Amino acid sequence: MPRGRTAIPVMAAATAIAAALPAHAQTAAERAVEAAQQYSGSTITITYEAGLQALDPLNFSGPMWEELTGIEVEVIEIPINELFTKTIAEHRAGTGAYDLLNIVPAWLPDLVEAGVLEPLDAYVDEHGYRDSLQDIAGVYRDNQMTYGDEIYALPDDGDVFVLYYRTDLFGDAEHQAAFEEAHGYPLAPPETWDQFYEISQYFTEALAPETYGSALIHAPGLIHYLFEERFRIAGGRFFDEESMDAQIDSDIGVAVLEDMVRQLDNMPPGAAGWGPIEVLNAWLAGELAMQIWWPPPGRWSEGYGAEQEALSWLPETTVAGDVGYALTPGGRPELAAGFALSVAANSDNKEAAYLFAQWLNSEEISLQRVMLPFALRDPFRTSHFESEEYRGLWPSAGDYLDTLKLGAETGLLDLSIIDTFSYEESLTRAITSALAGGDPRSALEDAAEEWDTITEEIGVDDQREAYSIWAAKPNAYP
Amino acid sequence: MSRAAAHPAASPGDRSAGPDAPPALGLWVDRHFRRLIVAPAVLVLLLIGLFPVVYSLIVSFQKINRRVEDTSFQGFDNYARLFGDDRFWESILHTGAITVIALPLELVLGLLLAWLFLEKLPGRQVFVALLLMPAVMAPFVAGAIWRLMFDNIFGPINQILGWIAGEPQNVMWLVNNDPFTVYGAILVCEVWQWTPFMFLILLAALSNVDRSLLEAAEIDGASGWRVFRRIVLPAIRPVVLVALTIRGLDLIRLFDIVWALTRGGPGNMTETVSVFAYVKGFERFDISTTAALTFVVIVSLSIMLFVLLRRVEIGR
Amino acid sequence: MSRRRPQPWYTTRQGWTGAARLAGAIVVTIVFLFPIYWLFATAFKTPEEVFASPPVWFPQTPTLETFAVLFRDGDVSAVWNSIVIAGVSTVVAMFLGTIAAYSLARFRTGGDHLVIWIISQRMIPPIAVVFPIFLLFAGLGLIDTYLGLILLYTAFNLPYVIWMMRGYVEDVPRELEESALVDGLTRWQVLIKVVFPMARTGLFATAVFTFIFAWNEFIFALVLTRTEVLTFPVQVSHYFGQQQTFWAKIGAMSVLGALPVFVVVAMAQKLLVRGLSMGAVKG
Repeated sequence: MPRGRTAIPVMAAATAIAAALPAHAQTAAERAVEAAQQYSGSTITITYEAGLQALDPLNFSGPMWEELTGIEVEVIEIPINELFTKTIAEHRAGTGAYDLLNIVPAWLPDLVEAGVLEPLDAYVDEHGYRDSLQDIAGVYRDNQMTYGDEIYALPDDGDVFVLYYRTDLFGDAEHQAAFEEAHGYPLAPPETWDQFYEISQYFTEALAPETYGSALIHAPGLIHYLFEERFRIAGGRFFDEESMDAQIDSDIGVAVLEDMVRQLDNMPPGAAGWGPIEVLNAWLAGELAMQIWWPPPGRWSEGYGAEQEALSWLPETTVAGDVGYALTPGGRPELAAGFALSVAANSDNKEAAYLFAQWLNSEEISLQRVMLPFALRDPFRTSHFESEEYRGLWPSAGDYLDTLKLGAETGLLDLSIIDTFSYEESLTRAITSALAGGDPRSALEDAAEEWDTITEEIGVDDQREAYSIWAAKPNAYP
Repeated sequence: MSRAAAHPAASPGDRSAGPDAPPALGLWVDRHFRRLIVAPAVLVLLLIGLFPVVYSLIVSFQKINRRVEDTSFQGFDNYARLFGDDRFWESILHTGAITVIALPLELVLGLLLAWLFLEKLPGRQVFVALLLMPAVMAPFVAGAIWRLMFDNIFGPINQILGWIAGEPQNVMWLVNNDPFTVYGAILVCEVWQWTPFMFLILLAALSNVDRSLLEAAEIDGASGWRVFRRIVLPAIRPVVLVALTIRGLDLIRLFDIVWALTRGGPGNMTETVSVFAYVKGFERFDISTTAALTFVVIVSLSIMLFVLLRRVEIGR
Repeated sequence: MSRRRPQPWYTTRQGWTGAARLAGAIVVTIVFLFPIYWLFATAFKTPEEVFASPPVWFPQTPTLETFAVLFRDGDVSAVWNSIVIAGVSTVVAMFLGTIAAYSLARFRTGGDHLVIWIISQRMIPPIAVVFPIFLLFAGLGLIDTYLGLILLYTAFNLPYVIWMMRGYVEDVPRELEESALVDGLTRWQVLIKVVFPMARTGLFATAVFTFIFAWNEFIFALVLTRTEVLTFPVQVSHYFGQQQTFWAKIGAMSVLGALPVFVVVAMAQKLLVRGLSMGAVKG
C-alpha cells in the first residue's frame, strides 16, 4: 500500500513537532490510545495461541482496547503447532488476514528473511516507545526484539526455565542431616547437575513411590531446550564459526546427553516421555521434590487463580506454601520459547496494529496482563518484577519474582538461525533415541551429520551470517 | 447449466414429440442435453482437480521456498532433492507398513465379525448399527480418542494392562523410541475405526452367497473350512477386492489419525507420505520440493488407479 | 432383497449355539464401543476426574459444565459451521452429481474414460491438492469463507455422487422415462419429475454419505479456515496445546460432532451397505 509507506515520514514529522510540546506527561499506553483513536471503527486481527493464552485478548485486553479506541480486535486462535505455518502461509498468499502477530522470538530469522514482519523502528520513535522498551528485562529486550539492527518484535512474555523445589522437604531437619551426612554438603537447591542427581537420588530412595526426587519435561518439541541449556553451560558450541560444521556431537555434547539419560534413574517410571502436563500434575499432587518448568507453576502451585473457570482443568494444588524457586543447575536457564508481538508486513492496518501492540506491551497494561490468573504470559519487565501488587499476590511471590528477574538476567537464548525447526527436530530425535536406551554418541553423531546436510541445503554462507548474528547476542553463550 | 435450467420455463408449449417445430433454443438444448447436464460437474472437477496438478507441475521445476522465489527453470533439481531425501523414502515405507498390516487385519477381523452376525440373532440390527459407529466418526476425532486411551497416565489402557500384569504399567505408547508401541497404537486406532466398514460389507456379501452352490458342496461332504475356501470365498471375492481397494486407497493417503496421535513423531518415525507432504509444504514451506512430491504422488496413484479400476469392478 | 430365498444358506451351519453367539456379539460390541464411551464419559467428568490417575471409569457426579463452557465461549459455532458447509455442499453436489450421473448412465456421455477420470478424482489425496488450492483460494478471497469450503467439498464429493447415482439411475426402469417423453415431457422434466423421484432411495443414501464425508473432513478445513468457518474437527484440534490438553473439551466437542452422524446412521442403516461399498454390494 503506497499510502502506508508515505504516511510514516509525514507523521514522523508531525510528531517531531508534537514532541516539542509537553507530551511526556503521557505514558506510552496513553499515547498509543490517543494515536489509535483516528482508526476508530476499524478492525485489527491478532493471532494468538489457541486456548488459555487467547483468553487475554478475548476477555481482557481486546474489549478494553475497543472501549478506549473504538478499534475492534478480532482474535485468531491458532494451536501453537500451527502458528508458524499459518503465519507464513497467509503471508505467502498475500491475504493480509493478520495484522498483529504473536511470534516465538526464535523464528525471527525465518520470518524476517521471508519478509513477513514489518520493521518497527519508525513506529517506535514515532510514538515515543523507545524509553519504555528499556524497562523490558535485558535478555528479552536485547535478544528477542531485533534481527540485524532493526526492531521487528516487542518481547511480550518472560519465558524462562525455573527450578521448583519443595521447601518442606528441603527444610526438613531429618532430611538435611541425613543428606549432609551422606554427601558432605548441605541440602539446598542444586547448583550443578551432579548435585541435582544426588539430591534426586536421595529423595527417591527416601520417599518413593509417594514422592520422587525429580521429573523433567522430555516431550519432543521441548526436550531440546534442556539439552541446549546444559550443552552451552558445559562449554559446548553449536557450530564451528568458520566451517559451520555442527559441534553437537563433541565430547561435551555426548557427556551432557549421557547425563540427561542418567538423571532418569531418580525419576518416576515412564518419566522419559513426560510432557509438561505430566510433570505439572505430579508436581501439584506432591509427587516430586524438584522439577523444571516455565514460570506458571509458581502461580498455580499457590492456587493463584484456582477459582477461575478457565483454570478448572488444573488439578488442585497440594503444595501451596511449600514451593521454593531457584535458577536451574548451572545458573543459566534456557529461555525456552516465549512470545513477542510483531506487525505483519502485508497488513492493511499496520499503524493501528502497532499501536495495539505498544499498548499491550506498555508498562501498565502488560503488568495487568501478566497478573491475569488464566493467561500464560509471564513477567518480563523490570517493573513487573518490582511490582508491589504482584509481590503481594501470595506469601512467597516476592521470591518468585526475584528468581524470575535473576533468570531474566542470566537466561540463555534459544538457538535462532535459519530453519531452526529442522535443527531442533533432528536434535530432538537424537535425544529421544538416547533417552529410550540408544547410544548417546552415535545418536548425536547422526544428528550432527543431519545438521551439516541442513546447513548445506540452506547455504553455508547464509547460515553463517544468521548464526553469527545470533551468536553475537549477549546471552547466546554463557 | 443456466441454459439447461432455463429450458423448463421455455418448454410448456413445447411438445418435442408433437408435429410443431420446437423453438430453436429448445432444440439446441435437447440435442446437447446429455452434455449440458454433465458439464457443470466436469467444470467444477476441472477447476478444483486440474489446477493443482498444473500448478504442482510448473512449480516443481522452479525454486520457491521460504526464502527464495526463483521462477526460472531449475530442471529436475527438486525431484533429485526429493529422491535423495531419506525422509521421503521412509515416509513411503511407513505408509506401506501401516497399509500392509492394517488391511489384512481389518479384512480378517471384519470377516470374523460378519461370520458372528450372519445367522439370526436377537437385536441384530441394533448390534450392527452400534458396531458401525467408529466408521462414521471423524478420523481426527478417532485419533483423539485413542490418544486419550493410550495416555500413559490418564488413559485406561495402561490401567487395564496393569490389572493383567498385577502391577502398575507405564507404557509410553505414543512417545517412545520403540516402533512397536507407537505403530501399535496407530494400528489399533486404524483397525478399530475401519474393521466395522469391512464387517458391514462382508456381512452383506456373505448373505448374498447363492445357496444352491453350498448344497452341492454339502452333498459332496466337504468340511466347513473347505466349503468356505472353495465356495464362499470365490463368491465374495469381487466384493472383497472392492472393499480392499477402497480401504487401500484411503490408507495410502492416511493423515488425520496420525496427525491426532503422533503428528508423525517421535522424530519422523510415523511420518506417512501425507504427513511428510504437510510438514514439507506447510511447516518448512519448501514449496517446490513439495510440488515435486505431490506431482510424483498424483502420477503414481493415477497409474495404480488405472490398473486397479480395470481389474476391480466397482459398482458394476 | 430382489429375490426371495426360501432359506439362507448359512442356517444349515450348526456350529455355535445361539446363546454363545449372542454373548460373543455383546462382548465384541462392548469392545468396539468402549473408546467412544470413554470419550463421551470424559465430556461429563469433573476436572479432577479428567486428570485422575488411575483414570476414573464412571463420572461420579456427571456435569454439563464443559458443554456450558463450549456454549458460553461460542465454540459450538463450529458445529453450526459444519452443518452449513456439509449441508449446502451436499445439496449442491447431489444435484450436480445426479444430473451428470444421469447423462453418464443413460447416454454413455464421454464413455468409460470420463467415468474413470471422474472416479479417479476421488482417489487423489487431499494433501496433494490442498496447497495449490490454498493459493488459489487466497487469490480469490475464498479462505475462511463458507463459499470456499462449500465449493471445495462439492468438488471433493462429486465423484462419489456421480459414481453412486450412476448405479441408482441405471436401476430406474427405462420404460418409465420413455413413456414420460411420449407424454410430452421434456428431457429436463423427465429427469426432475421421473428419475429423481424414482431414485429417491439412492439419493437419500448417497446424500447421507456425502454429508458424512464433508462433516468429518479435516485437512482442507485445517488449512483453509482461520476463525469464521472453523469446522468441528478443526475446533477439536485447537484443544491440543503444547502446555495443556483440554480433554474435557475434546470430549464434549466430539460428542456434539458425533451425535448428528450417529442419528443419521441409525436412521439410514439399511442403505449403508451400498453406500459404503461404493455400489459394489447392492445390500
